[in-house]
Amino acid sequence: MKHVLVTHADEPIGRRVVKTLFHDPEVLHILAVGDGPSPRGFDRFLGGAQPRLAYARADIARHRPVADLFRSPRFREAEIDTVVHVPRHGAPAAASAPLVAGVAERTAEARLVLQHSLEATGVESFVAIGSAFVYRLPPGNANRLDEESELDLDPDVAPEARSWIDCDMIFHGELHNDRLRVVLLRVPTVVAEGGFVYLHPLLAGRPGARLRRLGYDPICALVSDKDVARAVQSAVHTRRPGIYNVAGNEALPLSILARWTGRASLPVPGALLGLADRASRLLGREALPGAADAARLRFGFTLDTRRAERELGFRPINRIGLARAGDGSLRLETASL
Amino acid sequence: MKELEVATADAWEEAIGPGVDGPALGRDPFEDVIEVDPFVARLERIALGAAPRARRAPRLQAVAPVPREAPEAPPVARPVARAPERPAIPLRRRRTTSPALTEVELPEARGLLDRLLGEEDRRRLAALSHLVDGETAYDRFGFSPETIRTAFPWFHALYRWYFRVRSEGHEHVPVDGPAVLVANHGGILPFDAAMAVMDVLLHSDPPRLARAIVDRWAGSLPWVNIFYARVGQVIGTRENFADLLDDGQLVLVFPEGMEGVRKPITQRYRLQAFRVGFVEQALRARAPIVPMAIVGSDDQAPILYDLKPLARSLGLPFLPVTPTFPWLGPLGLLPYPVGYRIVYGEPLSFHERFGPEGANDARLVRYLANQVRRAVQLLLDRSRS
Repeated sequence: MKHVLVTHADEPIGRRVVKTLFHDPEVLHILAVGDGPSPRGFDRFLGGAQPRLAYARADIARHRPVADLFRSPRFREAEIDTVVHVPRHGAPAAASAPLVAGVAERTAEARLVLQHSLEATGVESFVAIGSAFVYRLPPGNANRLDEESELDLDPDVAPEARSWIDCDMIFHGELHNDRLRVVLLRVPTVVAEGGFVYLHPLLAGRPGARLRRLGYDPICALVSDKDVARAVQSAVHTRRPGIYNVAGNEALPLSILARWTGRASLPVPGALLGLADRASRLLGREALPGAADAARLRFGFTLDTRRAERELGFRPINRIGLARAGDGSLRLETASL
Repeated sequence: MKELEVATADAWEEAIGPGVDGPALGRDPFEDVIEVDPFVARLERIALGAAPRARRAPRLQAVAPVPREAPEAPPVARPVARAPERPAIPLRRRRTTSPALTEVELPEARGLLDRLLGEEDRRRLAALSHLVDGETAYDRFGFSPETIRTAFPWFHALYRWYFRVRSEGHEHVPVDGPAVLVANHGGILPFDAAMAVMDVLLHSDPPRLARAIVDRWAGSLPWVNIFYARVGQVIGTRENFADLLDDGQLVLVFPEGMEGVRKPITQRYRLQAFRVGFVEQALRARAPIVPMAIVGSDDQAPILYDLKPLARSLGLPFLPVTPTFPWLGPLGLLPYPVGYRIVYGEPLSFHERFGPEGANDARLVRYLANQVRRAVQLLLDRSRS
């Protein structure tokens, strides 16, 4: 039986992870923490005399709240043995977002949660979701990237991508820890019901028009949020630490993905894209999504998921396809095989 | 003392945000959670809903409201125990061969271009759409049957009327399974590859799409990279090559690479040195190698001179001087309407003799690559005579 703590449980992937783990008979207790109030979907799990799920708000980017969380009586009583760290993913961090101790919020959270998991005596397993956009994408890159592919350590990489790479490196550093089993799942663009998109540097966040580089239309690997949650479930039960690529069977060009998720993508020349981004910042607005990464995002990739299939027993069972939404438009939807 | 207090308060405020009380040591974020009543939680959410959701909670705060005498929560039925869906999940197998022409339903003609095509050609195109598995109609390299359908009439016209392609030896192209087609390369623009792909497509049943391996730098060219990907061409990396053969695809390679394209008119139809990666990959994937001669490509744009220093300074692989380029501008790069002849040789099944472990022997691989080069050169010489 597993006793699991899930971070950022109020964000879309976190919610899906909590629901999947709740329906797993081998998971006895789930403590979920998030920034906001308890998600509505958790109501039916929170009631009862002895609920298996408890939810609390905690700012895990700061040392004190994380320390309080890991030393709380509830944490001890629940005998938490597995920590599932779902990084902040609801929207890309704005360029003007405050830094925590000089690093991005996402990086600070990853460092603190891992550090306290290492210090907590009962925690044996640490499962983290990472982004597959950490890989280096040079011109003429291989289409399918495996876990050993080179990471993008270019110092000029966009801050949003940098935070994912830093998180990846932080988890990577503890892969060979004898006491804590660290599993890192690298996931590409996550698609959820209703045409929601997460983790893609250009498309994640609010709907609306996006500027992309003219003359390029890279292929994007996709995975449904349900499959990500299933991969986390498999990782919770595995005894093999390591890094695993997790992806679905589908891939789409960026322009089509944008259209089918209700976003207009306008191709503009690279130089103009840079100018538009600078102008946006000068006007005090947020940086244009994906603008800083435009040169890097010219090239697409898919993921080699054979290691996850072999060692975690994970295979995607949800298909991503088109469905007609209520307003008559075609949207990406996920459906179980 | 006063200053110190102020400084401490400032530091605290800077660390955790304004308007927050001092540290709550040992505070349990879950302290009230056990008594949570979903109904009360819903009420609280409605109340909170008026205010924007805080980006970050100022301090640890349990979601549960202040305990009060609430009606006892209705017992929530435990979810039905379900075995976790982990191993042994049936997965739809990726289809790598299209159905035979007789099995394909004839699609309706859409538009003028479709009407210009014959019934058999429409069946061939319809069969290709079976290659893409999934709802999204793109494979993971970006190939789109719909783009092929759009481009086919144009390339078919080039194939039939502009280059007047004649071909023979189609029986040597495997009907299914992985195979490597090895051909000579020539001409400035890769119409030899396009005609080879068309020829294989038009003379195979079930219809096969040859996936040509293109140079890496083509992947960084605007628009060109999109077109190549959509019509099924793949950037030449070891991983991509291996993936295609693992998928049971027919791969078309030009082992001369750029050297073949930029060779001067004095060396036309003389094969340049072969790269050897294709032999390694064929041995590992147990794929036969089919030599192939393309006559006509070296005549479509004969190169008189290569302006190497200028090409280097412009970041181009080569800069040719032909009878029409640069005198006619970009139009001078267009191929002359030469007749093409494509001949397929007998498959070379090296894998049967040397096995996958042969790929680790560099001398053997080099030797086999030279054998393939000889076979292609012989085919070329015979076809030209």
